[in-house]
Amino acid sequence: MTMSIKSISKSIWKVISKQGAVLAILALMILMLFFNTNFYTAYNWLDMLRSAAILEIVAFGVTVAVICGACDLSVGGTLSFGGIIAVLLINAGYPIWLAFAAALATGALVGFVNGFLVVHQKTEPFIITLGMGMLLKGVCQVLTDARPLPSKVPEFMMISNSKVIGSIPSLVVYMVVLFGIFYYLMRFTSFGRNCYAIGGNYEVAKYSGIKVVPIKWTAFVISGITAALAGVLLASRMNTGSSVYGDTTGMLVNCGVVIGGTSFAGGVGGIRESFIGLFVIQMLTNVMSMLGLDSYYQKLFEGILIVLIIGLDCFVRMRKRERV
Amino acid sequence: MKRYTSTSLGNFLKNNLVLVGIVVLIVVTAIIEPKFVSEANLTNVMRQLWPLPFIALGMTFVIIGGFIDLSVVGMISLAGVVTASLIDPLGQVGAILCGILLGALMGYLNGRILTSVGAMIQAEVLFITYGMSSIYTAIALLLTNAETIRIARNTKPITIFTTLGSGTVGMVPVVLFVFIVLLVFMHLFYTKTLAGRGISLMGGNKDAAFLTGYNVKRGMRLVYTISGIMSAMGAISLVSRVTTATATSGIGYETNAILCVVVGGTSLRGGKGSVLRTMLGVLLVVLLGNCMNLLGLSTYMQTVMRGAVLVTAIWLDNRKEL
Repeated sequence: MTMSIKSISKSIWKVISKQGAVLAILALMILMLFFNTNFYTAYNWLDMLRSAAILEIVAFGVTVAVICGACDLSVGGTLSFGGIIAVLLINAGYPIWLAFAAALATGALVGFVNGFLVVHQKTEPFIITLGMGMLLKGVCQVLTDARPLPSKVPEFMMISNSKVIGSIPSLVVYMVVLFGIFYYLMRFTSFGRNCYAIGGNYEVAKYSGIKVVPIKWTAFVISGITAALAGVLLASRMNTGSSVYGDTTGMLVNCGVVIGGTSFAGGVGGIRESFIGLFVIQMLTNVMSMLGLDSYYQKLFEGILIVLIIGLDCFVRMRKRERV
Repeated sequence: MKRYTSTSLGNFLKNNLVLVGIVVLIVVTAIIEPKFVSEANLTNVMRQLWPLPFIALGMTFVIIGGFIDLSVVGMISLAGVVTASLIDPLGQVGAILCGILLGALMGYLNGRILTSVGAMIQAEVLFITYGMSSIYTAIALLLTNAETIRIARNTKPITIFTTLGSGTVGMVPVVLFVFIVLLVFMHLFYTKTLAGRGISLMGGNKDAAFLTGYNVKRGMRLVYTISGIMSAMGAISLVSRVTTATATSGIGYETNAILCVVVGGTSLRGGKGSVLRTMLGVLLVVLLGNCMNLLGLSTYMQTVMRGAVLVTAIWLDNRKEL
């Protein structure tokens, strides 16, 4: 009898340590059962998905970098930058597809520079991408004079604000499509599998003949491109480009990725986990506003969630280290 | 081996490229814009410097110990708000002591959480301290309801604050004297005491430090407590200077402090560095901002420059060790 209790508690511990985020979602869902709100409606869940979509798209790219054992805090700056570039070009009279392509190209360029510094020059990714984010925010402020920059072309707004197949927001569709692409990329291509190998053990991957430098470099470029893409979509959603969009994105997305279960040690996790991790953050926001709490409480609980779940991630790894 | 036998001047340049670059910029500014070295400008710089030196001083210890502290944002905001709102009930001395105590508590709490979850690498530390920063900022927002506290509205005297904020001896602000005393103390602590040298040992190699009998967990709590105390002191100097406290007043100081430490030449890998070099870094970063102001660059352009200097400094520092 005692054995079975022990094994049950062990398996529960295993689930929690593997994915604290699922537990957080369940806790929030149970909490909402006690309140008479519109939480359990299809409309609310679609709305949550739509609000989460931008951060989810950023997270898909960041996950690739985190799986490789790095991280990308510059995505906030890239997000604002991509949106501003797109709006600037559209206002200047260029076609929308060209603005889109230019924004993605700038994202790729930022990712390329990050990759050069982190992978080729072997700097610490956390601080260097933080500095890069600061630099990009400055560039955005210079470009827009720190004012919101509305787009003058109404078609641009339709990219993110239209509805497809009845009442599904287009942003959700983009997110689902990108989810599929990234899931396939990380699961079923040699690139994705190599990313896991690099994150798991860089030296071993190098000596087993994986081209570590180009692959990790590509991971940063991918992260830059998705951040810029999300930036354009956000600018289209708001019909405005602004330098303040990305202020908290970098930290939030990277934390969300880890909350989902993709560890900073690299080599574990995946796109599905990141999706759940970011969704928890969005759900928390949704629940808070449903319960009518201040945005200050939201910040408080966000902080507690980050400390708890990343702390748990560290704790599990410490236990593993001690066992070895 | 040829590289290592190059001239000492070449070596110096290679090791201090960012430093030399900024000094050159300052000299050039001084030549083309004589206003830069005028008494009015320098007094102005000395007055607007605060609270950055305090924050950078605390951050230096954390970085030498091999970690990083993003929670200074929340700590400055919360300590500032609490100090400003305690003036009426406790009097100014009590408020200042409470503020510093609160800083020490917050820093200790950071260290305690980090050691009990076993966060060891910079990545983990970075995100957990960011989370703590959100918590502290949120508490400050809840306490003040996002309103600005003006210390001039207090009924009790605020002479210490006004002296710290705008008092001068000759043309040197009073707060600078306070800071120099603190700086000498911290420098002696770092270079002459066992605990101070232990921080350097811990930053150099945690495993080796552990095996030589150094208590790494206690060392971590020590550096974070120092950072907390320095943030609280910085918050007090900020409140004195601007005579208001808000729950968002700490925003931006974390990256600026890291920038000062890195420009000063303390390596982000930990183990190496010095308190005095950080002060050089602070001076250069502040003068850089002042130069750009005088040359007519916008504030936004300055953010770009700061980011660029930070990225370049880390990159060059890293190249040294390749």
